Amino acid sequence: MHPCRFRNALVLFALVAATLAAAQEAALPNAADSLKFAIIGDSGTGSSSQYAVASKLAESRGKFPYEFVLMMGDNLYSGSGPKDFEKKFERPYKPLLDAGVKFYASLGNHDNPNERFYKGFNMNGERFYTFRPKLGVRFFALDSNYMDKPQLDWLEKQLAASGSDWKICFFHHPLYSSGGAHGSDVQLRTLLEPLFLKHGVDVVFAGHEHFYERIKPQKGIYYFISGGAAKLREGDVGRTDLTAKSFDTGYHFMLIELVKDTLHFQAITDQGRVVDSGALQRFSDVDKKKFAGITSP
Amino acid sequence: MRPSIFAASGVLLLLATATPFADRAQQPPVNSDARLLADFKARVNQYDAIRKKADDSAPPLKKTEEPRDIREAQQGLVERIGAARAGAKQGDIFTPEIAALFRRLLRPEAKEKDTKAILKEDKPSRATISLKINGPYPDKQPLATSPPEILLKLPTLPKDIEYRFVDSYLILRDARANTIIDYIPNAIS
Repeated sequence: MHPCRFRNALVLFALVAATLAAAQEAALPNAADSLKFAIIGDSGTGSSSQYAVASKLAESRGKFPYEFVLMMGDNLYSGSGPKDFEKKFERPYKPLLDAGVKFYASLGNHDNPNERFYKGFNMNGERFYTFRPKLGVRFFALDSNYMDKPQLDWLEKQLAASGSDWKICFFHHPLYSSGGAHGSDVQLRTLLEPLFLKHGVDVVFAGHEHFYERIKPQKGIYYFISGGAAKLREGDVGRTDLTAKSFDTGYHFMLIELVKDTLHFQAITDQGRVVDSGALQRFSDVDKKKFAGITSP
Repeated sequence: MRPSIFAASGVLLLLATATPFADRAQQPPVNSDARLLADFKARVNQYDAIRKKADDSAPPLKKTEEPRDIREAQQGLVERIGAARAGAKQGDIFTPEIAALFRRLLRPEAKEKDTKAILKEDKPSRATISLKINGPYPDKQPLATSPPEILLKLPTLPKDIEYRFVDSYLILRDARANTIIDYIPNAIS
């Protein structure tokens, strides 16, 4: 083949491949009245990788105006002094903080629990808390480092009182994971999953694992792991029966949009590449009751 | 057995048991574990009262936009608790009897597969932490996650006092002051 023809063929192939990839990548609806938010996990290193993810996160808000960011814990590694807050939170996310974007933190095993008093983390002085940013959607931030009886009792009471809202829990340790270094937290799952099933939790976000994994729905609940906003454990996520999609070769963050009963999501790298995306339908109350083993009279 | 011997044995048995029963009538029947747990709770509550008193003094640890305020309030709390507990030593709360009870409660659970998995994760090394009563838990070290099954087996603590592990040591930690209140060496091994 003539070198020029070969080059043209290559360009054409690349264009077709890019178009196909873009078509497969589910775009977020970006609807006017939807709830939009972002997710970062294990972010507080103060490293160049954290700043790269933060930069892309801020850039993405230009196209997708999310209201707040959920933090999956390990918000400040190796210290929680004033300089740590500045270097590992206030500076990397300054454009977002200046724009009025709120951050809601959960605590990881590298966090000093007194981070809860920092207003920028919106924890209201508590290790675990709940908030409702929009009618019909309620979030529950848990402290998975210290799941004692008072917290379990609080969670049960709050879930029971939350009615038919979307119920979204987030905390540090994943209940399901294909990670080699950590893996599923079975003991935590034994305690939390029955409560989630009983009260119809829809989605759970976690971090701790330094990669991205979307878990196949477990008993009517969607699980995501997003712990690669500054740390990376390359090659750690094995493909198991749990995995719907995983990514462990780059840093990432997530964008989420709730439109009525559908959750739209994207996992995006610090290079701006979408590595997973889709739309998940919320399970019906009837299905949830089946998964929870509750039969109608 | 002849009837007379049988009757005498019965009288002896009655006499042997009569005195303890009389004593028990004067004292409520409390088993030794319950007594030790009540003692532990009283000692922890005593600490909690000291901490509350220290916490009520200025500057309080409260919600703030300034991380410096958190650090200063935490440091102030450490100093006030330190002054109120001057002379506190290891074993003041975990007395030898209470420590023995905790070891008995902890050791079977610590052998469970899932508990072991949690305990070995991101745990701080004993060598990196100076276990000094009223001293700080090092800011740069991770806090080992406390296995939920263990937390459910141990007595519930007042808010912001917590059980943590450093290797095989069980630490009683003040989460507001970030200090070590007391500890049990080799609690799980």
